[in-house]
Amino acid sequence: MSNRTRYFVAVTGAILVVGLGTGIVASYMGFPVSVFSSAAGPEELEYVPADAAVVAYANVRDVMNSQLRKRFQEMEPSQEHKNDFEEKTGLNFEQDIDTVVAAMMPKGNIATNPEGAFLILARGRFQAARLEALALEHGATIADYQGKRLITHHDTDSIGPSKHEDMAVGFVEADLIAFGSVTAVKASIDARRENRNVVSNVEMMRLVSELDNANAWAVGRFDAIAGQTGLPTEIASQMPAITRFSAAGHINGGVSGVLKAETKDEASAQNMRDVLKGLLALAKMQAGSKPGMQQLADSLILSGDGKNVALSFSVPSEVLDVLEGLAKGRKGM
Amino acid sequence: MSFWNASRRVFDLSLGEMLWSRRTIFMALVVGGPVLLAVIVKVVELFGMSALRVNRQPVAGFGIFGVMIWMLFLRFIVPVLGVFYGTALMADEVEDKTITYVFTRPIPRGAVLVGKYLAYLACTMLVVLPSVMIVYFLLVPFSALPETFGSLVIDLGLLGLGLAVYGAVFAFVGAFFKRPLVIGLLFAFGWEQVVMALPGYLKQFTIAYYLQALVPHAMPADGVASMLQGMFRENPPVAVCLAWLFAYLGVFLYLATRVVERKEYVLEQ
Repeated sequence: MSNRTRYFVAVTGAILVVGLGTGIVASYMGFPVSVFSSAAGPEELEYVPADAAVVAYANVRDVMNSQLRKRFQEMEPSQEHKNDFEEKTGLNFEQDIDTVVAAMMPKGNIATNPEGAFLILARGRFQAARLEALALEHGATIADYQGKRLITHHDTDSIGPSKHEDMAVGFVEADLIAFGSVTAVKASIDARRENRNVVSNVEMMRLVSELDNANAWAVGRFDAIAGQTGLPTEIASQMPAITRFSAAGHINGGVSGVLKAETKDEASAQNMRDVLKGLLALAKMQAGSKPGMQQLADSLILSGDGKNVALSFSVPSEVLDVLEGLAKGRKGM
Repeated sequence: MSFWNASRRVFDLSLGEMLWSRRTIFMALVVGGPVLLAVIVKVVELFGMSALRVNRQPVAGFGIFGVMIWMLFLRFIVPVLGVFYGTALMADEVEDKTITYVFTRPIPRGAVLVGKYLAYLACTMLVVLPSVMIVYFLLVPFSALPETFGSLVIDLGLLGLGLAVYGAVFAFVGAFFKRPLVIGLLFAFGWEQVVMALPGYLKQFTIAYYLQALVPHAMPADGVASMLQGMFRENPPVAVCLAWLFAYLGVFLYLATRVVERKEYVLEQ
């Protein structure tokens, strides 16, 4: 065997060995996503605990600046109410909030203790001192947790031991606050500090990485929600066998998006596709005579194979015209 | 010299010959295509766009990788390399009129074919499998690595097995027939494609039937032929597929060895 043949065998063999080695290490020991590539999704995900069952995101700035929002601006609460809130908190939702991430952790029962399961992370511009002063006025306490300021509000209204958890706001970064139960906010700070956050949750990050050009989305484990919401067994047993879901939308002049579901087996997915096909046919038949609705019905596209079902949609401006007309009609405008 | 020692010597000699022959340029072009495509997909994704969309939905990197395994590697590269290299194992020696020199060596004739076959396997696997590995790492994000790595290992094994089985079949064709390349191309891109798109039992007499049943990716529908193949596709159990593939490999390699040992090659003047 000549030297160049040996070199060739060595180089190609090395590619195989390195590739297989990397794969084996990643499969059995896990890889922090940030080692070789940036993680999908916003940076706030680093504050979401790894066991989150649902994660949702909204780019508030995009939505606020969208043409859609401008169309419906007239129907929003009066300026007086807004100014009152802004005076007290120094917070103007339209200008000061950039993004919001919400997460649901499957701890306890959501039906009986909803506030204990949720965590909200808002990025924007906050006047910490003003918020702290306001909180103190209303009987809250302020403490430090892992070097972060934590405003805690105790439930003093209930008589005897409270069924509800204390709520807290944590200033986790200069422009990021975490809101939720004390446990949830502390878990959020720990998730970032110990690097055990949803970014290392391969399943969730796979769902996040599949989202494309969406300024609002939600992904999660459907079974975790169904099992925690306290639904009656009769209803729960009739729910389709969805294991994971994702919903992503892009809001600007109109609204377009896609809903995806992953079922426990291929037969369930096929059943779901069949049911949806029937519903789509019915919707198209019903929308036949209404031009705006016809476009909406035509934009509904069902796809997916194996255990996946996807339904994409697009709400055109004609439909929004109809909705706007209806809303104005109700207000007598 | 024992059969296996002789095979090893022929393997040593043939591997260098195969790697640095004109066929390697063809193989590099064939195998470089998917790598180039993967680079383009990666660049497109770096600009925040989706390289492939189905029903307006972006296809994730692993989905594109699956399509490439089906359409480029399994349906084209593996059979085409099997045909070009497999049929040439003995036919080249006949065509170059050098077979006399090989057969006058004090080694079993069958060892010549086995050594050349092993060199073909090493040569094609050392080019095809690293190319698949590069395509995988270009297309699949690291976050998806733990859940998709098992499929990659199956793909690599499947491609290796495909090269081995097609190589054995075409080694027999090359040793037995006078115009092996034409027969090989007719088998791989005529018989197999047509029969796979027809209902009935005839598809059991193809390699693709058993090989495609083992693919861990969803079959893409890229044309009428694929659609028909998808419609009449059956999935025999893994054990049955593996048994048939290894049976093809063993039987055709044995037959090829027997042919080489018994056939009188008449060199055209």
